Amino acid sequence: MTVHVSPPEANLDPEPLLSVAGISRFYGERIGCQDVSFDLWPGEVLGIVGESGSGKSTLLRCLAGIDRPDEGEVLFRGSGQPLDIYSVAEQERRRLMRTAWGIVHQNPRDGLRMDVSAGGNVGERLMDRGDRHYGKIRERALDWLQRVEIAENRIDDRPRQFSGGMQQRLQIARVLVSEPRLVFMDEPTGGLDVSVQARLLDLLRVLVRDLGLAAIIVTHDLAVARLLTDRLMVMKDGRVVEQGLTDQVLDDPHHAYTQLLTSAVLSV
Amino acid sequence: MNAHQTLPADDAKPAYNYAYLDEQTKRMIRRALLKAVAVPGYQVPFGSREMPLARGWGTGGIQVTAAIIGPDDTLKVIDQGADDTTNAVSIRRFFERTADARTTEATEEATIIQTRHRIPEAPLKAGQIMVYQVPTPEPLRRLEPREAETRKMHAWAEYGLMQVKLYENIARFGEVTTTYDYPVMVNGRYVMAPSPIPKFDNPKMHMSPALQLFGAGREKRIYALPPHTSVKSLDFDDHPFRIQSWNEPCGLCGATDSYLDEVVTDDKGGRMFVCSDSHHCETRREAGHRGAMLADASALHLVEEVKS
Amino acid sequence: MTTMIHVENVAKHFTLHNQGGVRLPVFDNVNFSVAAGEALVLAGASGAGKSSLLRILYGNYRPSAGHIHITHAGRQIDIVSAVPRTVLDIRRRTLGFVSQFLRVIPRISALDIVRDPLLARGVDAVEAGERAKAMLARLNLPERLWNLAPATFSGGEQQRVNIARSFVDPSPILLIDEPTASLDAANRDVVVALIAEARAKGSAIVGIFHDEAVREAVATRYLDITDFRKAA
Repeated sequence: MTVHVSPPEANLDPEPLLSVAGISRFYGERIGCQDVSFDLWPGEVLGIVGESGSGKSTLLRCLAGIDRPDEGEVLFRGSGQPLDIYSVAEQERRRLMRTAWGIVHQNPRDGLRMDVSAGGNVGERLMDRGDRHYGKIRERALDWLQRVEIAENRIDDRPRQFSGGMQQRLQIARVLVSEPRLVFMDEPTGGLDVSVQARLLDLLRVLVRDLGLAAIIVTHDLAVARLLTDRLMVMKDGRVVEQGLTDQVLDDPHHAYTQLLTSAVLSV
Repeated sequence: MNAHQTLPADDAKPAYNYAYLDEQTKRMIRRALLKAVAVPGYQVPFGSREMPLARGWGTGGIQVTAAIIGPDDTLKVIDQGADDTTNAVSIRRFFERTADARTTEATEEATIIQTRHRIPEAPLKAGQIMVYQVPTPEPLRRLEPREAETRKMHAWAEYGLMQVKLYENIARFGEVTTTYDYPVMVNGRYVMAPSPIPKFDNPKMHMSPALQLFGAGREKRIYALPPHTSVKSLDFDDHPFRIQSWNEPCGLCGATDSYLDEVVTDDKGGRMFVCSDSHHCETRREAGHRGAMLADASALHLVEEVKS
Repeated sequence: MTTMIHVENVAKHFTLHNQGGVRLPVFDNVNFSVAAGEALVLAGASGAGKSSLLRILYGNYRPSAGHIHITHAGRQIDIVSAVPRTVLDIRRRTLGFVSQFLRVIPRISALDIVRDPLLARGVDAVEAGERAKAMLARLNLPERLWNLAPATFSGGEQQRVNIARSFVDPSPILLIDEPTASLDAANRDVVVALIAEARAKGSAIVGIFHDEAVREAVATRYLDITDFRKAA
């Protein structure tokens, strides 16, 4: 029989949203991450797993425009022309980070303004892009608070009056309100109780699917990776040692390190 | 004792340069002023000098005035709207002594008006220069403590955060409660702190025919509004900027359109509202305007006997 | 009939790096095809690698050698070498996996779980809801459970939710792993009927059935995995 391998299907996006080529970041002699390349497509959720010190957070900072890599490039195709985020002016990069990108920090304090009300936190990105109608900004803020399951009557409370889980949900609303195309998350459920984690994970899963978000999630928790991600990159000593479909990598790990990681968990 | 030096005679004037500052310093400040005028609302750093009065008493304004004043100028100095407060009197006397300046209390006669808290009620004219003493030039400072970051925010007009501050006001109090130093957008480009003038005075800056200069001595910043510059107070479409208003006219001159101060007249709860612009109030009274409490105030010797 | 799966020289062994690099051969040189409307039942003793083969067909395990061509949207694609997003697209539209275990997602109701694949394929919400309800009713899941999350359901109840999800809109290819393991006779018969209906609609089926009667009722063809094991 005749067999031909087809190119990607016509119904899939023709171009990746993010193209990462040869990213390396060194701290003196020490390797932060080395020679990382991959493409991320619209709507795809990529997990980066590895133990502490494996370079996954360093890589995320390089990808997210926070920490300039020593080598390599990060190309973002938000609309129209691909943008090399480290060769464009800082102004453009900052604009990107406030509009088409979002970063969810592990510690909500890094992503929220703690002395600004919940509504103000959510509304900031709208005001950043020039929205000047108080009523409409508030309406959108209320809508987003509801979507992340924060009661309407908390809109004027400050984040320090919130629990850790609520702060994290508020941070997610603050990021997603501008309808970014790509979201970076650094251990989004780190530091939360298990029951609170489950709720947050479920919320993230639904939001990512409903909004068609592309996301890059750094986590050391393979259960989180299993639930949220389509693809996985396993990092060790700054390098990617294995990558593929999340269920492939977790169910049929090939690299010794991945086998060690997956066998170290009770059940994922 | 060095032979090349001679001591001034006892009756000689102090050996100060004209208008106290040396010419190099004045040149440096003028260069900063020119840049500030060229980029309306942009904060230009300058080498602020020690002045013979404490920082926080208007050294920024005094340095700007010293750099621009000349023998032909007539100077008016107001503090809290009044020409006769301690600070205003001291600064006026300073320039009388160091610059042989003519001084006045009449807004329309002045070529330079140095101020801290008010813009006079009488409309400014072309050729006049307002000099503001600014304590806190950076409107974003309380929102973003990092100087490097606020500079970037100005450079790229990232002013969403400023709007968040107004949002917080409305969310908490139902309206923007900032009543002085109310942030403005200059020439559609830079957000600027208008010094601690009441927001009542903000509209006077807009398209003013006078040149407006701002000096912050402690923070070492100069900025400016050239004549006929657009100055828009920040607001929301559905919460437009509004100035303060009072339920009663000025107790002394009966003005209904000026900025009023509350004055306590006795220890039994007596009080009245009077124009904060003392010269404006006197001018109106001289023209025959009478406030409801003028007679009482005269009896208490709170105001001079009014000529009628 | 259209060939839906074409397996070519597939081999699988596991290398356990953390246990002295021991190499566990499973099978070698597997070749077969399944056409639309066929039901191929994998036979062989327990541990022969039936489940591994099924997982390889799904793209879950990666074979050590060989190709698996899946007919997807009118074209043949090698799922072994396909990029992740292509594999996911194949799974979304062409390839369904019915296991005896439901991966419980917190806080999602049984009804939503069953309705989800219909929504993903663009069926409108009302119709999707009706079809989901009909399927749950057919599998005798009590109506009071429909709006609850299955986390607290019994094994049999969870399994029926899982089967309802898989058969509410059967994929062109269905991979089935012991679907009737903890079902009573009545529900087992429903499952057999569902498989027959899917096959009648043109689904290609590859399955593992422990239950002799179910196997007999479902199979149009058998493939004994043990034959390939010898070669490995």
